[in-house]
Order: sequence, then C-alpha cells, then structure tokens
Amino acid sequence: MPTVVVMDVSLSMTRPVSIEGSEEYQRKHLAAHGLTMLFEHMATNYKLEFTALVVFSSLWELMVPFTRDYNTLQEALSNMDDYDKTCLESALVGVCNIVQQEWGGAIPCQVVLVTDGCLGIGRGSLRHSLATHNQRSESNRFPLPFPFPSKLYIMCMANLEELQSTDSLDCLERLIDLNNGEGQIFTIDGPLCLKNVQSMFGKLIDLAYTPFHAVLKCGHLTADVQVFPRPEPFVIDEEIDPIPKVINTDLEIVGFIDIADISSPPVLSRHLVLPIALNKEGDEVGTGITDDNEDENSANQIAGKIPNFCVLLHGSLKVEGMVAIVQLGPEWHGMLYSQADSKKKSNLMMSLFEPGPEPLPWLGKMVQLGPISDAKENPYGEDDNKSPFPLQPKNKRSYAQNVTVWIKPSGLQTDVQKILRNARKLPEKTQTFYKELNRLRKAALAFGFLDLLKGVADMLERECTLLPDTAHPDAAFQLTHAAQQLKLASTGTSEYAGYDHNITPLQTDFSGSSAERI
Amino acid sequence: MKIFSESHKTVFVVDHCPYMAESCRQHVEFDMLVKNRTQGIIPLAPISKSLWTCSVESSMEYCRIMYDIFPFKKLVNFIVSDSGAHVLNSWTQEDQNLQELMAALAAVGPPNPRADPECCSILHGLVAAVETLCKITEYQHEARTLLMENAERVGNRGRIICITNAKSDSHVRMLEDCVQETIHEHNKLAANSDHLMQIQKCELVLIHTYPVGEDSLVSDRTKKELSPVLTSEVHSVRAGRHLATKLNILVQQHFDLASTTITNIPMKEEQHANTSANYDVELLHHKDAHVDFLKSGDNHLSGSSREGSFKETITLKWCTPRTNNIELHYCTGAYRISPVDVNSRPSSCLTNFLLNDPRYKIDGSLEIPLERAKDQLEKHTRYWPMIISQTTIFNMQAVVPLASVIVKESLTEEDVLNCQKTIYNLVDMERKNDPLPISTVGTRGKGPKRDEQYRIMWNELETLVRAHINNSEKHQRVLECLMACRSKPPEEEERKKRGRKREDKEDKSEKAVKDYEQEKSWQDSERLKGILERGKEELAEAEIIKDSPDSPEPPNKKPLVEMDETPPVEKSKGPVSLLSLWSNRINTANSRKHQEFAGRLNSVNNRAELYQHLKEENGMETTENGKASRQ
Repeated sequence: MPTVVVMDVSLSMTRPVSIEGSEEYQRKHLAAHGLTMLFEHMATNYKLEFTALVVFSSLWELMVPFTRDYNTLQEALSNMDDYDKTCLESALVGVCNIVQQEWGGAIPCQVVLVTDGCLGIGRGSLRHSLATHNQRSESNRFPLPFPFPSKLYIMCMANLEELQSTDSLDCLERLIDLNNGEGQIFTIDGPLCLKNVQSMFGKLIDLAYTPFHAVLKCGHLTADVQVFPRPEPFVIDEEIDPIPKVINTDLEIVGFIDIADISSPPVLSRHLVLPIALNKEGDEVGTGITDDNEDENSANQIAGKIPNFCVLLHGSLKVEGMVAIVQLGPEWHGMLYSQADSKKKSNLMMSLFEPGPEPLPWLGKMVQLGPISDAKENPYGEDDNKSPFPLQPKNKRSYAQNVTVWIKPSGLQTDVQKILRNARKLPEKTQTFYKELNRLRKAALAFGFLDLLKGVADMLERECTLLPDTAHPDAAFQLTHAAQQLKLASTGTSEYAGYDHNITPLQTDFSGSSAERI
Repeated sequence: MKIFSESHKTVFVVDHCPYMAESCRQHVEFDMLVKNRTQGIIPLAPISKSLWTCSVESSMEYCRIMYDIFPFKKLVNFIVSDSGAHVLNSWTQEDQNLQELMAALAAVGPPNPRADPECCSILHGLVAAVETLCKITEYQHEARTLLMENAERVGNRGRIICITNAKSDSHVRMLEDCVQETIHEHNKLAANSDHLMQIQKCELVLIHTYPVGEDSLVSDRTKKELSPVLTSEVHSVRAGRHLATKLNILVQQHFDLASTTITNIPMKEEQHANTSANYDVELLHHKDAHVDFLKSGDNHLSGSSREGSFKETITLKWCTPRTNNIELHYCTGAYRISPVDVNSRPSSCLTNFLLNDPRYKIDGSLEIPLERAKDQLEKHTRYWPMIISQTTIFNMQAVVPLASVIVKESLTEEDVLNCQKTIYNLVDMERKNDPLPISTVGTRGKGPKRDEQYRIMWNELETLVRAHINNSEKHQRVLECLMACRSKPPEEEERKKRGRKREDKEDKSEKAVKDYEQEKSWQDSERLKGILERGKEELAEAEIIKDSPDSPEPPNKKPLVEMDETPPVEKSKGPVSLLSLWSNRINTANSRKHQEFAGRLNSVNNRAELYQHLKEENGMETTENGKASRQ
C-alpha cells in the first residue's frame, strides 16, 4: 500500500538537540535520519511500493509525488527549507487530496507524519482545529478520518516527557481517535539522539513495513515467496471472534479450478506473489537493491538459473485458464492466478477471500471441493462441455421459484388472467389451466383469502356459460369441475382446503364413449 | 452486522382474533375483461382482502426479501395468536423458507369472525414470542460449543414484529408491559437452564393496522428504551398496500438494505418478438454494496423509488455482459439481491437471464474431499521435473499411459496391464533403436549415444515408478515388471571403477527416491541432473581415451569378438591410430591370459620357421622353408 510521508518543516523543527562531543544537530536532522532509514528499508524490501513526500508549515507542498525512486525521496530530504508555523489540518487536507487523486477511495494508504509535537498557535493550530471539530459543515469537514482505508503513524521528534508537559500528546491521540483508531504514535525513548531515532523508526518498520515472506507449496513443489503488499490481519466478527486472523506463512495449494467456474469472485485484497532467493545460510537475499550490489547480483543470477515453482505455476495457470485455490489458514482460502499487466507482461497474484467455510456460495463449502477423479462420472462431461458450477442452493430464492405475491393488484390480476386465458383454450391447455389454478389456490389458502377462491369460481362458471357452440364438450366439464372444487376449498373445511391437495382434471373420455354409441 | 445481532432472530406475532377477519376496505378488481370479449358482460364485483390477509402477505413479503438476501443465519419464527398461541415453525434452518410458512399458514386458515372475542388475545402470541426468543438456535449452539469457556460471548438478541389491531395507546402500553414482564420472568428461567438463553436485547416493533378510511386509535411512536433489555416502537398503519409498504421499509431498516435500480435493460416484447424495449428493475441488497460507490463521491442517487419507498435508489445502467468468461475481473464485493417486485415481467425476465440452467452437485464422500485433493497433489508432485529439457519420459507419448495412472492411489488390473504394455513397448523401441527425445542443450557434441539415452530414460522411469511403490501392491508389480524388462544396469565392478565422486551422487539420488516424502522434489531433478552429468562425464572420458593410451577402459565397451580377427598393425610406422592402439591393448591384455604360442615368440617379421630341428639335424642343406616338408 502506498505511503505518504508528511514532514513538518516549521521553525520549531530547527530547535537544536544537544549531543555531547559532536556537531550540533537539529530536530529536522534527526527526522531526516529516521526517514533515510525508512526509505532504505523500503528500497530493499518494498521496492514496488509508491511513496510520496509532503512538507508542511502553514502551507503544504508536495515535494515528491508518488514514486518508487527512493533516491529522489532521499534527495528531497536534504533539500528542505525551514518555514513558519505548524498548521496540521491543512496538511492533512492536502494528504486527502493527493491520495484520492492518485488512488481513489478504495486503496489502503499509510500516512507517516513526522513532527516535533509543537502543534502550532492560533488559527490552523491543531488545538484550534480540534476545538472547532464539532462545528464543521460538510464543506469544511475535518480531514480525519481519511476518506480512504488508512493508518496514521505519528513520529514525534520528542520524547514522552516533553510531549506530556503540554497537551500535545492528548491532541495527537485525538487525531488517531478521529481516524477511527487506525494508527499509532511513536515517541523517542530517552534522550534525543541518532541512535534513539533509529530505534523509533525501527519500531515503525517492524509494525508497518516488514515484508511478508511465505512458502508456496503444491504437494512436493515449493517456492519461497514474498507476498506484496503485506496481507493485513482480518477480523471476521468483532463480537464472537474478535482476534484478527493472520494468513499462514505456509501457503498450500489445495487444487485448481476453471476461471469460468470461479467467475470473478469478491476478494478482500490482492497481492503480488514474488519468488525470493534464499542463500546458503538461509538468509533471504531480497528482491531489492542492497549496499553490496555484486553479492546480490550474483545471488540473483544464481536464483535465475534455479527452476522456480512460481514460474511453473504462473505459466500453467495462464495457459490452462485456471486459478489455484490456496489455503490461507483454518477455514480461510484465497486464489492464485495470472494477472495480465499489459499485453506482454503478466504476474502471479494472490487474492484473499473472506474467511469462512463457504466464501463463494456458487462453489459450495470449500472442504467439499474435491478431485474430479473422485466423482462417479466426470462432472465436466467427457467432452468438457459442462460444469458442476454454480451449485444450486437447496432452497431456491424467491425469484427462482415462481412465488405468488399479490400486494399490488396487478400481481393478482395477472394470475387470474393466466387462468382465464387457459380456460378459453380447454381442453388443449388442461395441464397449464390446472397448474395455474392450483398455484392460485395454494396462495389464497395461505393468505386466508377465501373470497378470491369464490370469486374465481364464479368467474369460471360464467366462462362456462359463455362457451361458443363450437367448443369441445370437455371444456364445459372441466370448467364446472374446477369451479366446484374452488368453492369447496373456499369453505375452508380441512377436507377440501388442504394446502397440499391439488385439484386434478376431471377424467373424461369422449372419444371412447362416442365410438361405442356409434 | 454482527452474527448474533437483533436480526439473527425475528419473531412474527400476527393477530388471528375475530376482528382481523374484517375487510381492509381496499378493493381489488380481479375480473379484468380481456379485449375482444363479448359485449354486455358485467364484470364480477371487486373483492377486498381482510386485515388478516393483508398482515400475512406483508409479513411473507418481509420474509421473502430476508430469505433471498440472507438464506442462512437470519431466522424467522412465525406465531399466530387467538385463543392461544400457534407457533408455526422453529428456528431450525430447514424450517426457514417460504413454502414451509405458507403451508403452515394455510393450515391455520383465516380468523373465524364468529369466535368469541373475549377468549382471543394477541398476548398469547407475545408471551410465546418471548419464550421462543430464549430458545437457542443451531447457530448459537454451534458458536457456543466452538468458543467453549468464552461461550458467554455469544449474544442472544431478537426482534418481535407484532401485527395487531389495538384499541388505544394504553392498550399498546399494556402489551409492552406484558412483554417486558415476560422477558424478566423467562430470563430467570433461562439463567438456570442449559438449553435456554437469556434475552440480552429485544426490539419490539408493534404494528397497529386498521381498515382504510377509519381513524387510527393508536399513535405512532419512535423507538424508545423501556428497559436495558427492551426497546419498543409503535407504527400505526392502514391495512392494504400501506401495510405492505411499511413492512418493506422495515425489512430494509432491520437488515441494512439498500436499493439499486438497473435501468435500460433491453427485453424482447412478448407480442412482437423482433423488437425490444428497455425496462428498469429495482433490486434490494445489503447496503455495503453501495459503500465504495458513495465513497467515490460519484453517486447516482435518484429520487425516491416508485411506490414511495423511504429510501433513495442508486441507478445503474444495464450493460450487456460479454460472453467471455475466461477472464478474471477485480471484484471487491458480491451481494445477494431480491427484486422489489418479484413477479413483474421485467424482474422475472432479468432474474431468469441471470440464473443459469440447473446444474448438479458433486456427491460428497465420507472423507473430506478437499483433503483428498491435497493428497492427490502430493502424489502427482512426487516426481515432477521442473524443466522440460531435463526430462525424457514426460516428452514421450509412449510413456503417457503409464505416467498418467502410476500417480493414482490404487490401480486396477487394467491399469497394471497398461503399465506393463507401456514398458514392453519401450523395450521394443530400444530393440529397434528408436531415437529418444533427449535434449542436447548444454551438452557438447551430439549428446549421449543411443544406448546411453535409453539408460537415462529407464532410470527416470524407475524414479517415477519407485516414488509410488508404496501406494499399493499393484504399483509394486509395475516396478517389478520395469526392473525385469529394462536394459541391464552396468555391472557392479564397472560402477566401482567410475570413481568415488560419482558413487556419492548415485547414493544421494537413490536416497532421494526412498525418502521422497521428506525430501523436496528438487532432488529428483537433482538426480536427473546427476544422470545427465554422468552422461557428460562419460562422454568426456571417451575423449580422454583418445588422447591418452593409459586411460582405463571405457566401462560400457566390452572387447568385441571381431577384434581378434583384425590384422595386427605394424608398430613402428608413423603416428599410431586409435585402432592400432586399441588392438595393441587388447592383444596385450589377451596375451596375459595364455601362454604365447612358441612359434610366434620366435618369429621374424611374423614368420616362424617350421621344422627348424630338421635343419639342425640335416645340416645346412635346406635353405627354404617348406621344401623340407616335401621331402
């Protein structure tokens, strides 16, 4: 997920830090030192991620738009001027704009705010912003919570005692609260010095920027991979199951399924699956640039020569038009697939389904999916011309089962007219006539709408009198029979008004009897 | 929404007392005259639904929408109340569908207007509703069992929707008090019971309904907390479609639903099959479906939907899907829907288009199918070369019949037979000296010789079969057949000659086969590489032999019989050819095995003089060989 670094360049950041026996440092130098460490870490472990740098005082400026070029970011750090006072709200509005413009509202984004805990004075100061928080209209709404999924990390170039001596810490905590608790405040442990700044940024890296390494397995085939961006823990149900679920570091492929069968399922998140090389000692060599370029290159060269399961898997999925179902944890699955980047380039990707035994209803329960060879006959047919998916639900939904709804008069009228239309085409339409009649009868009985049964009976009797001379004699018999049965049902007596009872056509045999008479 | 929120359990309590048989006084024309009918027929008088019918069909519509969108975990218990409470179904999932409820309602039938009103009351139903809310559902039970000591985290909340005809506001108060008291009592009971749960939260929704045209005797009241456990709200609604609209609004509120209208859907006209007109269909679904939409700021909110539903609907334009279903699209959410107007023609036209033909389900076996799938992957990957040029057998059509069945858990007699046939076929190929698809990439020259190619192929096939011999006795038989038929492996002696290094490799790869379960499969390909390297080495040895007469014998080439007949070459003349070197060596070797013929030892220029002793005896008379014999 992209990162926006928001750096305080107000005058207070130039306050000196006393370090015995060395040249004078300012807080901004400490900040730059910490950020350098972060950028170096990202260049190594997160080289695919985009990072932007914003500086702010009473105004804000986008120093480096989203980039993967950490050198540019590093250079910008050393080219920062000093400005006037801190005005956090406008900077956060700026962050909102920058992120929404680049990523929209659905991509999660991390915001790293670097400040010294001096929150400005007067209008635009954080105290002022928070004091007026409840008097906002929609047009000047406070930028938090961010209008995109986010984490707000506040890196304070100050230690806890210093922040607690004023209300700074409280104000910053309010900020995190306003972001729905998404984020954390980091302060320097002990005296302000390079070492302690490093350890503070080290904590941030541990929390938010540790790469996710996993072993991808398929039977005996395995590959070491980095899953990028890191899959975040997921909470299924706050009440019953409040512990966030984390995905396994062993990603085991359990089977393969056609793309057409899985058909663009909903996913929680998408990740690149990148093979990584492990050297002899078992340390990971990394996919990024390290200080020791030679070592890394040779390691990568070696890695490039070793057959990798990721390559086999990606190629196979692409060619076969399939996805691999992968087990992420107990009752948690995802899919691996080939995603085309452009016409020529495609990547192995992993998407996470929602945890649960049945994330995709049209596939049924995940544990019930099994090898084709176990089925008595191939569910895909001998010519691969059919598919067992989507599964039909045990109970059909209302729109698939021809339910009767008479809330609107038109619903009732349509049903009555269907009966009438078929009544006029008796005896050809005898089956449909009785089918519609029974449907109406059932609904009327369930709704206790017995007047309707009487009404339809009357209508059928009238139809009987209106039959033309050319009509088949059976028509009159069936109409009279049906009307009589409906009338009986409308009495509500159990003998005739049983819900499961069906009116069956009257048994007549005109051909037989007339032939005998002749 | 939490699993066990108020929406987990909904109890409908519908009044079945005599006054519910009254007409709602909203007429329905049902005898609609069709065009071209005989003149002069007076249509039948319109009919009207009773308060009961209106209540039942509105509650059924509520359930229909709920079941469509939440087929599981959202449960309804239906109770009708007259002189007693009639509980029509249970919380079990099997009871949760419209058919069950409709059948049960038909059995109850409409209220009897001639029954004694004094005996009848909605209170019976309300008491039963509280009772039923204390009963544990299968989902609650499952969650409690799963959480063990944290079982108390499983909530028990519920909602009672009561449709009745109340006499006054104070009558309503009395009903609320009754519910509150009953909850209090039943919670005490439940506290001492294992199969009952205390009600933590109950939402009472009282709907007073009355015939159209009458004045309501009950006033509306928004949700109010009557106790920490009970909240109550009162809706005073005219019967008929007003009641249906109210319940439609409620189902949307209770289940966090939102509406989307798909516009401009082209549909063929029934009358004119060649033309199509555009229709709109309104759907309900969980409102999460709109979250990202609203966040993007690009909301297509249109005015209130038809029939005065309370909420806005988002309009989306229909886009006829391409029939390409081999592409994966990024999808952040999929939501169940329910058409607002389920049996209108456009709705059913749309849903029929979206529903696929009925398909069938895979039979589940006793074992967990997914575990069987994993098991199969394990078997299939026991021997799996990663690089196409590093495998011979998987490049051979002739091996397919064996390779495709050997990975199976068990073999049939026919499978074994096919495997054996495959092996015989390979033997036949070898006899005919058919070429094999062995890659020459990375090797110098033309690659291994034909017999070496076959050796590589047999080794690889053996690796594959050995990886599966523990599957069954029949797998074992395939290996036996293979071992019996394959070209003989090199003699033990000769193997020793190949030196220490190669031995190590051999051991390692053999171990890999034995321990396939623990070892990564790379080692199989490692073994294969080993085989190839060995091939290369041997080739290199052959070259060494050319250069140095002191090299050991090539292991595979036994001296051929014909060699004995090749004419010996003169040792002294010019550069030595390989053949002469060879012959020399052979001769030397052979010579050690027997005592040399005396004549050859004494020969000059390969000519030995016969009968020399005669010459000695007869003095120097005979100078030429042979002459003496004629003597």
